[in-house]
Amino acid sequence: MTGAKRTAPLEPTIDADDIQGITAPGFFKPFQTLIGLNYPRTDKGAAAFQRAVASLEVSSCGRTLEDRRAHRADSKLVSPPLIAIGISYVGLVDLTASATEIGSEAFRIGLPGRSALLGDPREGAGSPTKWAVGAPGAELDALVIVAGDTRETVDVESHKIEKLFIEAGIKTLLQAGGVLPGEMRGHEHFGFDDGVSQPGIRGHASSSPNDFITERHVAPGQFPAEALYGYPGQDLVWPGEFVIGYPRTSPDPLIPGPIEPATPTWTRNGSFLVYRRLAQDVYGFWKAMRAEAARLSQLSGFRGLSDVALAAKLVGRWPSGAPLARTPKLDDSELGNEPLANNNFRFDSDTATLTLTIGKDNFPSAKADPLGAVCPLAAHIRKVNTRDAPSDMGGRSATYDRRLLRVGVPFGPLVQNKYGDPAINEPERGLLFLSIQTSIEDQFEFLQARWMNDATRPKSPSGNDLIVGQNAATRDGVRRATLFGDNLQVAEVLLPQQYVIPTGGGYFFIPSLSALRDVIAPRAAETPKQSTARKAKRK
Amino acid sequence: MGLLSSYDPPARMADFDTIRGQRQKWHEFLVEQFQQQINGVQDMLAKAAKGHNVQPQFYDASAYDPGGAVVEQAVVWNAFPKELLRRFGRECALKEADRLWPLSAYSNDWIYDSDNPSRDFAAAPTDRLFYRPTVEYCEWHVNRDPSTGRIVRVSFTSEPPEYWFALAGGQMDGSAVAFPGDMNLLLDLYRRHVDPSVRMEELVAPKTYRSPLGLHKQGGYDPYNKWNTTHGAMHLCAPPNSLSAEINLAALSTLLFEDDAGALVVDPDALMAGAALGGPNRNSDPTIAATVNVLARLGAQITLANPVGLYMDHIDLSGWDAPGGVAPADCVRIVRGQPDAIERLEVKYPTDEFAVSDIRIGGVPIRYGGQIAECITVKLVGAAAALGSITTAPRTRLSAKAYLDPASARAVFYRRGRPLAGLVRAFSDEDAEVEPMPPSALRAARST
Repeated sequence: MTGAKRTAPLEPTIDADDIQGITAPGFFKPFQTLIGLNYPRTDKGAAAFQRAVASLEVSSCGRTLEDRRAHRADSKLVSPPLIAIGISYVGLVDLTASATEIGSEAFRIGLPGRSALLGDPREGAGSPTKWAVGAPGAELDALVIVAGDTRETVDVESHKIEKLFIEAGIKTLLQAGGVLPGEMRGHEHFGFDDGVSQPGIRGHASSSPNDFITERHVAPGQFPAEALYGYPGQDLVWPGEFVIGYPRTSPDPLIPGPIEPATPTWTRNGSFLVYRRLAQDVYGFWKAMRAEAARLSQLSGFRGLSDVALAAKLVGRWPSGAPLARTPKLDDSELGNEPLANNNFRFDSDTATLTLTIGKDNFPSAKADPLGAVCPLAAHIRKVNTRDAPSDMGGRSATYDRRLLRVGVPFGPLVQNKYGDPAINEPERGLLFLSIQTSIEDQFEFLQARWMNDATRPKSPSGNDLIVGQNAATRDGVRRATLFGDNLQVAEVLLPQQYVIPTGGGYFFIPSLSALRDVIAPRAAETPKQSTARKAKRK
Repeated sequence: MGLLSSYDPPARMADFDTIRGQRQKWHEFLVEQFQQQINGVQDMLAKAAKGHNVQPQFYDASAYDPGGAVVEQAVVWNAFPKELLRRFGRECALKEADRLWPLSAYSNDWIYDSDNPSRDFAAAPTDRLFYRPTVEYCEWHVNRDPSTGRIVRVSFTSEPPEYWFALAGGQMDGSAVAFPGDMNLLLDLYRRHVDPSVRMEELVAPKTYRSPLGLHKQGGYDPYNKWNTTHGAMHLCAPPNSLSAEINLAALSTLLFEDDAGALVVDPDALMAGAALGGPNRNSDPTIAATVNVLARLGAQITLANPVGLYMDHIDLSGWDAPGGVAPADCVRIVRGQPDAIERLEVKYPTDEFAVSDIRIGGVPIRYGGQIAECITVKLVGAAAALGSITTAPRTRLSAKAYLDPASARAVFYRRGRPLAGLVRAFSDEDAEVEPMPPSALRAARST
């Protein structure tokens, strides 16, 4: 530690009553239903849609934070579901012409038009024409997200909302998702704990000095760690990376960056939502892991490599969520389940043990691993967050402005035997990937196209992301990753197939509550009779 | 003795093969460059060690073998200049990256405004000279149809200027190595790759002048000739984009630095700005320096892999869509170098039916060369050996301080001496959070 030289940076207070709760602090509920919406392209249809939107009780940041804090105090609490709404460009532009002023090319073009850039298959399974939702020509106009504590409460609320829109003449498409049962709670279908490296949002939710959006757990007096992290190792990212109208990342993580102008002005306090419906071929994945582990374990330096250990190297964490950086040889579920420890590691330098406000981190600390000898450079967690290491985009600060807030959940039933074969009518399963960011291009698309799909970036010697990367983005349709053996022997993992297959989605704008009320659904709650009465009164 | 018998030309290009003695001279030039840098590092180490002799961690592979296995590591970065992105934002940066800036503005490039070029800082003798402000060791020239403005060809180069000085023959500024050279071959290459109408007299300096690349004598090869600036791009010409800069950065990055509090500097941004090693706002320099420095902290001995050069590693064509049923790959041609070590790359629609402007990336038509540069990965290849062999490297004190403008904290400025007025110190707390792992612990970790 260099000792206290400076105080923590002044952090902005975000407009908690105006920002949707899915944007900040984010919905981290175990169950969700996504309701896709398409309204008729008539004046009447648009007005009916606007009226229905206006009657939604969309959850604010303030309410979502309140709900989260109540659950921290009582984990068994079942509270009313949280609701969010995002509107796609095609849905928005027919409601307000000023949507054309939104600067994001990706948003305007939409997910199907950007799919090739993301490395999605161009034909067959995974290609946009085969998508279950949001296929070319069938893009959603809007997406409502209902998130809650139980399947039952979410079902009740989402059916109520569905009915509301159906009665307004709006086409709906429901997709349910939720945490996997039992010990797999919090894990994705391949079996790995998911969302452990979620960034924190820097800033206050109110004028109260300790009302942080993201809780702080590093004890004071440990500068800069106390100002850099929420949970140890959880980067605090300036809110402008998630909400429009606030400071973004600067080259120094403790100095606020510029505030990008909100264009049009009603986009302030808004954000962008990326929805990717990703199917997972669990049987295929584990078959490939078994075959590759068996092949590699014949090589010097890789003897005894199991399929789980290989998969852990490709993720960068063991199934429990324990990082390889802190437990290179074996899973440690206690570490995996400990949020005060499971994210506290760096890649290029040894990681200091921190004193915490509550509890202790007694697990072995992470050692410097710049070449990826322990946690490969191609591991998913190194592909999407370079932490303290440099990257092809420059110094450490280059990772902060790529971070996104993940708010999705799995869908489909749990596989009973991952080493088995799929049944003839095997149900579909996967991830409802939802991410929040202020730049689709610089955050979500950059991570997928430039870091995960690329064989050399963000740092070499790496390879493709063998978990989420897309084969179609490679030169020969084969994804590769470099692994180091016990004595730095080099071997390559080869995957000619992909086991995460895009099956739909869309790009959406998440408006502020005031933009919803004043621009997107202006006076929409009025019935024609009310409107006539108001106009008559004005005369 | 080193394991390497001799240094090859970048990407093992064959131009030198037709010139008697040229390859040997290239090897001697590289040896000289390495030795100059090793001497510089040795001087800094001696100063840090208060006169004691300390072994540098940077070495010349043709003269020294550190023993054990050598691990090669490509250091990669994006070709689009982050300096322009940080300063202007993407839309404006795309325009600027396709423009030339006057060489006289180079030393004030962070305030140069090409829409409103101030002459206050212009130095008259170089006003007629231009450079590309694309300082990521990759530059490009956009050929547009003069009648329509549509892009017909974009030519990218990562060839260092030193290669072309060598090709021209004679001695480079500050070098004792005399190259035989062949100006006719040089002219032929310009005609083949830039324009068939290039004339010899257009490639030589009309009068003697000095540029950041050195002294250019009257009648000698002129790197800022029109076919390498306003009319084309044969090789790198931005002052920081040189092979000697690459070797210098790699060598200095093997030093360990400490901050004012005596803590080891490990943060890539703090290292780059505080040690004044290169451009803190670039993609390339901070990642090169930090990648080398972390290996130095682990006690490795470090060099640049043969052939020493700057390369485009690959171009990512994901999301490219060319009209007329043409595959995007058919619009891209490696002209010099080889796959994974590309020195020259051209993007051109294969027939006259369409232009580069008709190609779309992610649904967006190509309007600037910079959109293609965003898809290009540049690299150098380092090599590390004998991890843990250097255990007593002394620390050099940071020589500069980094600053940000609090009103719009986009770009980093650094300065030695008095602070920059109106700016706030950057990276003052993130210099060093923890000491590096001792080599004994590293060995223990490797053996478990």
